[in-house]
Amino acid sequence: MAVPSVDLGLLVVLLILLSVAAGLVGSLVGMGGGVVVIPALVVLFGVPIPEAIGTGAITILATSTTTGAAYIRDRLTDLRMGMFLEIATVPGAVIGATATVFLTRASLTDALLVALGVVLLAIIPSSLARRGQEDPTPRPPDARSRALRLSGRFVDRATGKAVSYHAADTSPALGVSFGAGIVSGMFGIGGGVFKVFALERYMGVPMKVATATSNFMIGVTACAGAGILFAAGYVNPLIAAPVALGTAVGAYVGSQVLPGLRNRTIRWIFIPVVAALAIETILRGVGLP
Amino acid sequence: MEPADLTFPPAAYERMAVVLRVGLFVSLALLLGALVTYLLLHPSTSSTEAIGSNPILQFLSLSGLATGLASGAPGAYLTLGLLVLVATPIVRVASGFYYFRRGGERSLATITFVVIVLLLLGLFVIGPFVR
Repeated sequence: MAVPSVDLGLLVVLLILLSVAAGLVGSLVGMGGGVVVIPALVVLFGVPIPEAIGTGAITILATSTTTGAAYIRDRLTDLRMGMFLEIATVPGAVIGATATVFLTRASLTDALLVALGVVLLAIIPSSLARRGQEDPTPRPPDARSRALRLSGRFVDRATGKAVSYHAADTSPALGVSFGAGIVSGMFGIGGGVFKVFALERYMGVPMKVATATSNFMIGVTACAGAGILFAAGYVNPLIAAPVALGTAVGAYVGSQVLPGLRNRTIRWIFIPVVAALAIETILRGVGLP
Repeated sequence: MEPADLTFPPAAYERMAVVLRVGLFVSLALLLGALVTYLLLHPSTSSTEAIGSNPILQFLSLSGLATGLASGAPGAYLTLGLLVLVATPIVRVASGFYYFRRGGERSLATITFVVIVLLLLGLFVIGPFVR
């Protein structure tokens, strides 16, 4: 299944094509594209796992930076909630990336990969149960949400309606975000699955805002992890550069498509991607791919 | 109708979008230019060689990067392009800190400041330490 040894030029072209697809999927579901790039680099191109993880973090940065400009301009990104949750995700990412360096040296990542896959699978039933719902049921804001004015309003281009929202259960959202940071730093996959989950499920934010805010957050979280992996020498620029270029193109196309989609369409993209990621992660953990 | 967000007026969103676009453009331009140059200078490199060797390692120190940039080494410019991409979110968070502080929102300004410190610690302290 692996690609045979080819010229560097052809490798660059193949990596750009792969990452265009990854950037498109990543921007649509708020997950950053690393979920596609990391296993593909390992399975198809034989890239060592630590460098694949480092490249995954670069992929996330490219996706988030590209889509961030478009989503921020469209006012879909909730900067207040994004910044608030970063206080949990960034320390998590620092811990996660540092752990990756040490765990890689000790060859102890397999059990953690399996655990990650199980957690991801556990999220899916909740998403399926609410798949027909366009907007979350409004819940009262908690004390922290009121103190920090964690509320917002946007015009949904799909329905033409103005939607107001505020953050509800911020404590569990912070806990989930810390876990998302650890996952992001440790595996280079962005942790957007958990961030969208925290924003939508616990804080009651509309899916479209949750996805755009997740795209904003994963860039900052990935920066924490990527900084450590980069400085530790786990990023190969000959791999990361074409991946960053392709991801930026794919993510830009995705950001042009997202504002016109209905929430349930995004959810139908989100669920299978999470399922694929979970199965892929478990398989990697038990050494099958 | 929700009250207007005085901390993040429309101009703030526009400026943040500009920061992202400039950071992305500079980064991608450096990466593309350096990658094409590398391919022209090393036309016979195979994918196995490229994956097995990491030309970034000699440019991870400030002195190594400066020397590489001065000598026109494509690997140094690839490293610089990746550094710009990594640094762009830090600038974005820093602009958030500016708006929170200007808006008198001390809690969110403090949160954002702590995030900036952690990001810089990871890049300049923890990463080199665990290398």
